[in-house]
Amino acid sequence: MNWLSVRGYMRVKLLYHTDLDALKRVLVHKGVPFDPEVLLDHVVYMFEIEDCSRVTTHQLVRHRAASYDQESQRFSAATKEGVIVPPNVLSNEEAYKAYDEALKTVYSAYEKMIGAGVPKEDARYILPSSIKTKLVMTLSARSLMHMVWQRTALQAQWEIRELATTLQSLARDVTPDLWIKIIER
Amino acid sequence: MRRCYSTKTIEEIESELEQKGAEYWKYLLTKAMQDKSLDVLEHFTLTLLVEGASEPDVGGLVRRFPYLRATHLKDTDWLLTMNARTLVELWRDPHGKDFARLVISELDGRGVSPIFNELAFGERVHAS
Repeated sequence: MNWLSVRGYMRVKLLYHTDLDALKRVLVHKGVPFDPEVLLDHVVYMFEIEDCSRVTTHQLVRHRAASYDQESQRFSAATKEGVIVPPNVLSNEEAYKAYDEALKTVYSAYEKMIGAGVPKEDARYILPSSIKTKLVMTLSARSLMHMVWQRTALQAQWEIRELATTLQSLARDVTPDLWIKIIER
Repeated sequence: MRRCYSTKTIEEIESELEQKGAEYWKYLLTKAMQDKSLDVLEHFTLTLLVEGASEPDVGGLVRRFPYLRATHLKDTDWLLTMNARTLVELWRDPHGKDFARLVISELDGRGVSPIFNELAFGERVHAS
């Protein structure tokens, strides 16, 4: 089964999840009724997220009850192709022109600095927040549900809303009992 | 860890990890341990059924190691979830060592994460 979800440009892969059935068997063995609330801290998901912007990962890491490892700009070189263009910019010719020109200037300066011997870790100070990044995130079902609840709201920004929707969908696919029972409440 | 220092895609990195095999995983884990980059260990999660543990015992552990999550099932049975970083911290702390030893012994017995166990807790082999 393929757990890779591609929504537009962003790619999310569920790398690992706790075996909920195994936990349920433990409960049965111990004569404890299945209560999803009991297992929320013990079911864990690990995701790999690729090609979302640093704008979104800045929002993501505000959900502190999770572990993150993000691609390092100290070591990875940046390229102009690796940026996200928001739909509101993409659909507006004038705005897109300004966006593109600014990116050209920024990346030209970045490359000049690298060429002049400035380490990547210092040259990166000029890079935009729209730059694509990737990260690995591990979190419990409780933390993920809280994140999904906050970030799928209409007030959330489009990119993190897409990400939260994808995370929810992947998690629900592999542990439906947990999610359905919590949502029913 | 490999994922943080490369611009390669998910598939390229996975194929590289698969191709290079156990020696390469050992190299990455050794580097993480040597550099004290224990954050990468937070992605390896363990969930355990603990039997015969009193509330003060479990409470003491949870208070000392806040990333250890415990749920009381019944009587002296508990569900405990931790990541590998917490296990390393338990192992290195005199108050957590005995419990860590039990967990590692269970992992060894089940053949779970042998490379990690050897690298992170190797000295127990010589001590026993």
